[in-house]
Formats: sequence, structure tokens, C-alpha cells
Amino acid sequence: MKILLAIIFLLVMVSIYIGLYLLNKRTPLPEGCEDLKADCEGCHDYSCTNNPAHYRKKEELQ
Amino acid sequence: MNRWQNFKAGLIKDNPVFSLYLGICSTLAITTTVNNAIGMGAAVIMVLIMSNVIISCIRKITPDEIRIPVYIVIIASLVTIIQMLIEAFAPALNESLGVFIPLIVVNCIILGRAEAFASKNGVLDSAIDGLGMGLGYTLAVVVMSFIRELLATGGCTITNPFNTAQVLLSFSIIPEQYTISLFSSSVGAFVTFSVLAAIVAHMKNKEADRIALEEKEAKKKEMEAKKQAAMEAKKGANVA
Amino acid sequence: MIKELCTLLVTSVLINNAILNQFLGMCPFMGVSKKRSSALGMGIAVVFVIFVASIVTYALYYLVLVPLHIEYMKLIVFILVIASLVQLCEMFIKKTSPSLYKSLGVYLPLITTNCVVLNCCLANISNGYGIAEMLVYSIGTPLGFALVLYIFSSIRERLDTSNVPRPFKGNPIALIVAAIMAMAFSGLAGIV
Repeated sequence: MKILLAIIFLLVMVSIYIGLYLLNKRTPLPEGCEDLKADCEGCHDYSCTNNPAHYRKKEELQ
Repeated sequence: MNRWQNFKAGLIKDNPVFSLYLGICSTLAITTTVNNAIGMGAAVIMVLIMSNVIISCIRKITPDEIRIPVYIVIIASLVTIIQMLIEAFAPALNESLGVFIPLIVVNCIILGRAEAFASKNGVLDSAIDGLGMGLGYTLAVVVMSFIRELLATGGCTITNPFNTAQVLLSFSIIPEQYTISLFSSSVGAFVTFSVLAAIVAHMKNKEADRIALEEKEAKKKEMEAKKQAAMEAKKGANVA
Repeated sequence: MIKELCTLLVTSVLINNAILNQFLGMCPFMGVSKKRSSALGMGIAVVFVIFVASIVTYALYYLVLVPLHIEYMKLIVFILVIASLVQLCEMFIKKTSPSLYKSLGVYLPLITTNCVVLNCCLANISNGYGIAEMLVYSIGTPLGFALVLYIFSSIRERLDTSNVPRPFKGNPIALIVAAIMAMAFSGLAGIV
């Protein structure tokens, strides 16, 4: 019974997160904020889409 | 061959810690003793391999739009499992690593590899990449913790994580009055990391210089060869 | 009581500083510290998210996880709460205040994987804090983080124009600066 409750609770949490994620993704950006860039060039995590180097590296590859 | 190169890249040249600066929170915090470093490295390797394999398995059925939430849930579950295992079988290790075991969830190495490698490659390749990156992390923390422990306490002690009473290796080479206790504090962590990162950067710079020089020379040779060919062609034309 | 709370505040801001003493949040510390303005944006975003996330996770732990006896799930639940909260905050700011979004927008998604947030939520539980202590701790920790991030970014702006040995260029010299800052902050340990 406890396990069942735990699983239901976890599923609810996950679905809330996924729902919010999708909602947030579909909310349009306010005016003037279309091409904001984070200044995090010091970070080398190129897989992060916030890092400007992410796009640069892709271009270099092509 | 290609797989082997992928594996090797994670170890030194693309070392996740010293060259990509990923996961440095835990690196700085847990490198006070070699014991901790080995334990943390093992935990990270296990999580990294498992998350890479699972994410690679489900890469074709994961909707692209919600892949990040899916990865986060998978990684959090894996870390919970590993934490429970460590708590049960190596309580001393759990005590000394403290909050940094649960914090593996937000370690950039794991989410980074999931996003950059496992979501695009096959299961075997992803497992190898996970092992390579995990070993790179372990190598980095073990080297750094060895330097710090040696300078701070004058020696090094490794115990069996499952039974702390059993000492596997213990030596002491620096006399007590010459040890620098600063290296066990946060200042020592920053300095040691910085020097090691500078060494890796120097190696990378040298390699880049060498490649640039080779390219330059190759270009020069090509130009000369072209010139020579042009001259000879001219000569030939004159003779004719 | 008040005295204890003040001690906790000073400890969490200055002495047991998130970055310099506990090595948490090193990624934004190295990544987002090249400009003072971005350090400030990141700092404010972290303060806001940690404060809200601490309250929500604290309530969820004692009202849901403990009665159901599923405390072992706290790690998954907390990371989900933080991630959802970040999405909610971003959406809310997008809809209500474009000017605020302009200054904080890019830093919000980065906070999901910031270890300071998760650590703060976990520490509230593992230290057994009461509600007042929890509130003070979850204000103090991000304030200490923002303070050190801002100071560090001011130093780093100067560092860019100075002549540094080639292997130390970029992050290694920044870490040396961090070491000196850690030394300075360890002098503050005598306050309490």
C-alpha cells in the first residue's frame, strides 16, 4: 500500500514537472528578449544550450 | 580503434575535471583524502555508466521535447539507489562523503554526457564513454587527493571501504614538522586544483602549438613545391 | 532565540560560505563571473529560487513524505520540485515582467543543476532545523553565494586586462584568486 502511494506520488510529481516544462516552453518570450545570451563562456559544458560555445562548436563542425 | 580513442580522450586530453571544468564542486570538496576520492570516483563511474546505458536504450522512444526532464528523473533515481547501497555496505564512506553523494544528481558531468553523447550513440559506445569519462574523473580526484593528503599529513592511508579497520596501504614520507596543514583546508583545494589545471592547459597549449607549426610547415612545403613545379614548367617551355 | 538566529545568519553568509567553504555552486562561480552585471543577475535569481524551493521542499517533506513513510524518496522529490519551480518562475516572469525577464531570464534554467539549491534543501532536513531556522538558513546561504560571486566577478574584470603566464590564463588564475578569497574569508571565522 505504502509502495503504491509512493509510486502515485512520484508519478504526480513527474507529471507536474513535465507539464510545467511544456507550458513554459510554449509560453512566448516577451518582446525584446528574443536573443538573450548568458555570459557563461568560462564554463566548458558545451552540451548546455545556454553556453554560447555550444552553437559555435556546432558551426565549426559543419 | 575509434572506440578506444573515445575512451582515451576522456582520460587526459578531454579530462572532464581539469580540462572541461565539469563537476568541480565535488572534486574540490572530497579530495581531502585518497580514500574519499576512490569512493566518490567509484560512485560516479557507476552512475555515469548506468545513466548512459539507460538513456541510450530509450533514446529512440524519448520525445525530443521532454528529454531533459526524463534524464533528470532517471539520474535522480540512479543516485538514490547508489546512495542506499553505499549507506548499507560502506557507512564510513557515506559519513565522510556526506552530502556530495546526493549531489551527484546535479553533477554536470552526468547530465552533460547524457545530453552530448548517450542521446545520440548506441548502447555499447555510451557505456564505453561513461567508463572513460568516469575513469577520467576518478583519475583527476585521486591525483589531486594524493597531492593534498601527502602535503597536509605527510603520508597516505588507504583503508578497505567495507571494513574501515582493515588498512590496505599506509605510508608516511614527510616528517611531521614539515607538513603543511593548509592543504587540507579550502585554500589548499583551490591552489592544488589551479596548479593541476594549469599543467593540463600547458600540455594542451604545447599540442596546439605543435599542430599549428606542422600545418604552417606543411603549407610552406606545398608552396615551395608549387613554385618548383612552376619553375620547371617554365624551364621546359623555354627549352622547347 | 533571536541571538541564535543571528549567529546562524552570519555563519551561513560569511563563515560557512557556500562557495569558499563548502565548494558548492562552482559551475556558475567559474562560468557566470566574467561580468559584474551577469554575476548580479545570477545572484538575485539564486536567492529567489533557493528561498522558495526551501519552503516548498520543507513543507512537502514534513507534510507528505514523513506521514507516508517514504523519506527515502526525498532526493528525487526535491530535484523535481526545484526543476518544476524553476520552470514556474520562468513562466511567471515571462508573462508578468519582461524587464525582469531581460535581466534574469537566461540564468533561471541554469539554476536547476546548481548544487547550492539542492544542498540547501537537503541541509534543512538533515540539520533538523525548525521553521524559523529554515527560513534564516535559506536566506543566508544564497546571500553568501551572491556576495562572493559579485566580489569575484569584480576581481575577474580586472584580471582580464592583466598579464598572466600563459598556462594560468583563464580559469586557473581565477582559482588562485578564489584561494586568496577563501583565505580572507577564513579570517572571519572568529566573529562567532
